[in-house]
Amino acid sequence: MKIIAGIDIGNATTETALAGVENDKVEFLGSGIASTTGIKGTSDNIKGVFNSLTKVLKKANITMEQLSEIRINEAAPVIGDVAMETITETIITESTMIGHNPSTPGGLGVASGTTIMISDLANITENKDYVVIIPQNVSFLEAANAINNSNKSITAAIVQRDDGVLIDNRLKKRIPIVDEVKLIEKVPRGMLCAVEVAGTGGIVEVLSNPYGIATLFKLTPEETKKIVLIARALIGNRSAVVIKTPKGDVKERRIPAGTIEIIGTEGKTIVDVEEGSERIMEAIAKAGNMEDAMGEPGTNAGGMLDKVKLVMAQLTSKDIRDIKIQDLLTVDTFTPKMVQGGLANEFSEENAVGIAAMVKADKLQMEMIAKELTEKIGVPVKVGGVEADMAIRGALTTPGTIKPLAIIDMGAGSTDASIISKDEKITSVHLAGAGNMVTMLIQSELGIDDFDTAEDIKRYPLAKVESLFHIRHEDGTVQFFDEPLDPKLFARVVILKSDGMIPLEGNHTSIEKIKMIRRNAKRKVFVTNALRSLAKVSPTNNVRDIEFVVLVGGSAIDFEIPELVTDALSQYKIVSGRANIRGTEGPRNAVATGLVLSMSEKGGN
Amino acid sequence: MAMDKEKLRSIISEVLSELDIDEKTINTTSSSPVITSKTADSNTLKLTDTGDATPGTITDEVVIGITPAFGVYQTETIIGIPHASVLREIMAGIEEEGVKCRVIRVYRTADVAFTGHDAAKLSGSGIAIGIQSKGTSVIHQKDLTPLANLELFPQAPIIDLPTYRQIGKNAAQYAKGESPDPVPVKNDQMARPKYQAISALLHNKEAEHQDLKKKPQAVKVEYI
Repeated sequence: MKIIAGIDIGNATTETALAGVENDKVEFLGSGIASTTGIKGTSDNIKGVFNSLTKVLKKANITMEQLSEIRINEAAPVIGDVAMETITETIITESTMIGHNPSTPGGLGVASGTTIMISDLANITENKDYVVIIPQNVSFLEAANAINNSNKSITAAIVQRDDGVLIDNRLKKRIPIVDEVKLIEKVPRGMLCAVEVAGTGGIVEVLSNPYGIATLFKLTPEETKKIVLIARALIGNRSAVVIKTPKGDVKERRIPAGTIEIIGTEGKTIVDVEEGSERIMEAIAKAGNMEDAMGEPGTNAGGMLDKVKLVMAQLTSKDIRDIKIQDLLTVDTFTPKMVQGGLANEFSEENAVGIAAMVKADKLQMEMIAKELTEKIGVPVKVGGVEADMAIRGALTTPGTIKPLAIIDMGAGSTDASIISKDEKITSVHLAGAGNMVTMLIQSELGIDDFDTAEDIKRYPLAKVESLFHIRHEDGTVQFFDEPLDPKLFARVVILKSDGMIPLEGNHTSIEKIKMIRRNAKRKVFVTNALRSLAKVSPTNNVRDIEFVVLVGGSAIDFEIPELVTDALSQYKIVSGRANIRGTEGPRNAVATGLVLSMSEKGGN
Repeated sequence: MAMDKEKLRSIISEVLSELDIDEKTINTTSSSPVITSKTADSNTLKLTDTGDATPGTITDEVVIGITPAFGVYQTETIIGIPHASVLREIMAGIEEEGVKCRVIRVYRTADVAFTGHDAAKLSGSGIAIGIQSKGTSVIHQKDLTPLANLELFPQAPIIDLPTYRQIGKNAAQYAKGESPDPVPVKNDQMARPKYQAISALLHNKEAEHQDLKKKPQAVKVEYI
């Protein structure tokens, strides 16, 4: 019996299929998986190949010497990278607004008055409504006493320390109090000001309404027009302060992000990044098969695409001018950014565009890996078979599949689709954007610093530890434990990894919001790419003309991506689902299995 | 290095004189306790035991457990922050979160972990803060083992008033079922060598007032 191995080097994992061949009959002996070392298609991969191979050999009890041939995939000649740029920023001028949403404002209601320092209360004679400003050197007791004992009409308060509830509890008359205003010295004095605090669980209703502000400040229609952005910025907050200053304003500025020039078989298109991802995707679709894309030099768009090209040039040791972008996926996203001119470290969710780019790489790299590997382990290693063809051969081992069949290979770096017709004709396409892009979106939208946490959020469901003996899963079900949990997990939102729970720290985002962001990120990348890739490989360019689709690749193992894609495809009357390679491997090992199968066929020839 | 009793005694008295502590107070073992500690704005703290502490039934409360000497035989922390101010800041932190608080005094131990745990077992929310006279604090939960904790603040010499406020806030947030970020714990490598002797001494002074048979007492807190 001849023993052969097929090895698939992917962006994230290196997978091996081991089989014995006798008289054209293939018997699979096992499969191995290890992390890919280095970037796919570089000689750094050898270590990962070796790990993956030794694992399966050990399991099957076979020595390296018994192997008669190894075949590695002719890696899809594409490499992907991701980048993101924000395209809007919010600027507050003249300290017009405080909309930072402290967790515990004090009091209740809406009121207006003239701003005044609490220390100046005794010196004023004029009788009108006042809003007191309480800096941090005044304690809550002193502040409450000063307000209670003043003979002036005090209608609201702005406090620097987190004292809102404390002051409120000690006042004779209830007034709205906004606290935790860090830069209180910048609050303009002697200006007309309105303060609103809603009840627990409520949101401001007057100051988030342009006409509400107009009523309080007696604004002209012309002035009302100008405060629309202020009102909009306060929507959803529980407390807010608006101060009427001569030139006060809130601006949402669009950062000039530059243009992208797309050169395709159908001609050239120039599209502005500012117009958002939808327009860019339209332009990409219109361009036909992309030949290259360039960003306007000196702009964010240019920087983004150049960065991708530079990384690719270094990896493939080619000149940057020879690097051609083959596909782009752009996605609208947002990222929390500190507001310029804010008084209380306000954050605003700014619009951003995320880009995944796909670059054509060299076949030679794989040949080099094969050569190096042969020298190291003394077994002939050959590069064989286009990745997409191999994947489809592997996918066909899934019980219940038949030609014609389309597969979508959802990996970490790229989404590939191929289709095999009844007469064995295979068409395939490689598109930018996959698992890594989902991670980038999660990272930016939740404002997480490290990639690994975002990756964990992507891959595992969440739960809230409600006591030391029970957790509530994200779907609302409760799970009890006999042994108490680690106190570090108490009251935290945790990621349910297979080897334990990881607490999410420094993050007050609710479980529902994280779940929504996670699912949306997956939908934006994988559903978009599933439809895009199927349209490209469909013989009629119409998704509807495909009947059966099998999902393979690392991202198909995910606990919700296959479900999201299957759901989206069912609207086109397509039967789709996760592959089960050789009836045992799930969606993994398709390419490696395909390599073994093609080897045995060729061996027979 | 060998150290005899006499030498140790002289070092301790030297440390004490440096810290400007009246020799007389140190030797206080009399039965008439001083029940005063002043805040910065000279409000006097008055702590009165009002009988055995009962288990809480409302869930929106945090119990503060104080050790036997707190605010009575000792009136300030290891770095001289008045107990009156410490207690006010912790209570303010809890109040700001809209949660109620009760103070109890634990007599059976002078240990911060056990004090906190005893208090947690009496807390309606299961959340309590334990605090020693020298200032060491802990946020505890009833289902934990006594020596575990939710948050521990072991280095009394670097806990300041804003930190005590934050400890109160966090405990209240745990009681509400929220997930607060742990209070940032400062670390001073020099705190241990600098304060170890005085810390041991203060602990001993506290332990003198232990009463193993006495149940935790409810405490009425007044600022006069």
